[in-house]
Amino acid sequence: MKKSIRGLNVLVFGLLLVTGVSCSKSSGPAQEKAEAGKGKLFAVSFQTMNNPFFVELNEGIKKVIEEHGDRLITMDAQFNSLKQKNDISDAILQGAAAIFINPVNWEGVTGSLKQAQRKAIPVIIVDAPVRDASLVLCQVASDNLEAGRLAAQALAEVNPKAKIVILHLHANKACIDRVAGFKEVLEKYPEMQILDIQEGKGSTEGARPVMVDLLGRFDELDAVFPINDPSALGVISALESGGRLDDVTVVTVDGSAEGIAAIKAGKLHSTSAQSPTTIGRIAAEKAYEHLAGKAVEKDIKIPVELITKANAE
Amino acid sequence: MNTLKRVAPLLIAIVLLLLLFRICVPNFLHPENLLDLTQQISINAILAFGMTLVILSGGIDLSVGALLALVGTTTVYFLTAGQTALGLCLAVPAGLVVAALFGLGNGVCASRTAMPPFIITLATMLIARGAALRFNEGRPMHVPDTQVLFLALGNGRLFGVIPVPVVVMLLLFAATSLLLHRTRFGQHLYAIGGNREAARFTGIPVARVEMLVYVLCSVLAGAAGMIHASQLYSAEPASGVMFELHAIAAAVVGGTSFTGGRGTMYGTLLGAIIIGILDKGLNQAGVHFSFQYIIKGLVILGAVYIDVRRRK
Repeated sequence: MKKSIRGLNVLVFGLLLVTGVSCSKSSGPAQEKAEAGKGKLFAVSFQTMNNPFFVELNEGIKKVIEEHGDRLITMDAQFNSLKQKNDISDAILQGAAAIFINPVNWEGVTGSLKQAQRKAIPVIIVDAPVRDASLVLCQVASDNLEAGRLAAQALAEVNPKAKIVILHLHANKACIDRVAGFKEVLEKYPEMQILDIQEGKGSTEGARPVMVDLLGRFDELDAVFPINDPSALGVISALESGGRLDDVTVVTVDGSAEGIAAIKAGKLHSTSAQSPTTIGRIAAEKAYEHLAGKAVEKDIKIPVELITKANAE
Repeated sequence: MNTLKRVAPLLIAIVLLLLLFRICVPNFLHPENLLDLTQQISINAILAFGMTLVILSGGIDLSVGALLALVGTTTVYFLTAGQTALGLCLAVPAGLVVAALFGLGNGVCASRTAMPPFIITLATMLIARGAALRFNEGRPMHVPDTQVLFLALGNGRLFGVIPVPVVVMLLLFAATSLLLHRTRFGQHLYAIGGNREAARFTGIPVARVEMLVYVLCSVLAGAAGMIHASQLYSAEPASGVMFELHAIAAAVVGGTSFTGGRGTMYGTLLGAIIIGILDKGLNQAGVHFSFQYIIKGLVILGAVYIDVRRRK
């Protein structure tokens, strides 16, 4: 028993130390400033932070909030709807002034939206929409339908008879819209054909094995539409190791630094560029407008721009 | 008394953590925040109860996270097919039957063959995940708004105060701890986990007990899957990834020994509470999410270290 008590001391001491250190670590300069000015607390929950897009979006929000002398807590749901629900509930119970949500599951977030509504906390949805828009203050997102259309159009220009596979992220409405926009343009090109649509998990490591498998199944495939830059990188890696990079055209949506680098290297044909920093900035500005009592538009679409080798920089 | 001694370190750790977070987060001990905590841990705790039974028998079940997704999707499929009370009466048993069948499969393989449970349940995890992804092309499936009772399972509050998932968690806690600590089945389970061969020679029906353990674990995962689908207003074929590891963490932090035969249901519940407090507290203290992983990892290491020390 004595031994166990000593063990307990170690655990408790360790816990206190580690947690104490991290608590103090979190009060960096930004937070001190906020505390000094009795700043408001804002929170943002992302479906993942393992994607440069969301890191930039977060920076866009954070910049505006810190300029107001307030502070922002960023939470990473790791594609886990339940964790996102718990994270948001933590922020609500702390009395956040407003919450930004990038939903993992456009329906799964409903409970969190209702909880925020009961506490009269405004919710701004960023990037991917939610099913029940009446529960939120506003939604700020790229024009994803247009992004899909631009990708299909770019592909049609280089290969109007393309045999295409799509690597989808099925649970995500932004990606659902991109694929819908993509298919819309294909209707104008009867010779273009979708061979298969597979779940690519929206990540490099998720897309690569799926692409390897697709290459084995379809000899005739000569175009891929992975729905974002990270999956496009996985696809390119699979094409390189399969020796098919030269005869397969890859078009995608995002416009990240990695994606543009791949375009310049001639591995990626095009990416319909979003502007995550702008999305973040506009979302944060809308939150402050609402808190100042102004009316806010419900649905805000941020334009996308096609980037190919011609305008990649 | 013995039980109290065993869980005392966990209770002290909980009190200290609560006090610590009270310092970092002013309204941490607000009743509403604590009630929210119990709701947040409910799914993990229910999975961990089942996991404790399996680990006590000397096994492991990696399939619970995928099974949670499969039971969620199966249940919501039937809820959508019959959007009435009849649909509900069909959907819940259907979900539980699927869970029980997977548990039976795990149990038969674990008890009747020499295949290690780690590999068996790794395989059934893949099978369950694949089966879940067959639904709705892998997209989330909406729970019909007419299924008010089902939606209350995850979002309702008993007497307007206690979240229904917490009530379910406490009922399942009572049931599993009675089973483990007050029945012959429980004694047999400890005996098998302690020394399988010795248990066989004393005439304990090892295979039958083991089989039942896996079935129980899967059915609990099924119950968690229904609460999950209800809380999220939809069943997600891709949900539940890594949930098995969180459940194992709760059991281990609660003092369940990985070699089997040692551990309690009380300990597991407290383990789930500790992990829940850490999650909530670190979030509300504004600790960067990268540090949160590191801290949780250190806590699990610390807890296992103590478990090993105490056994000497």
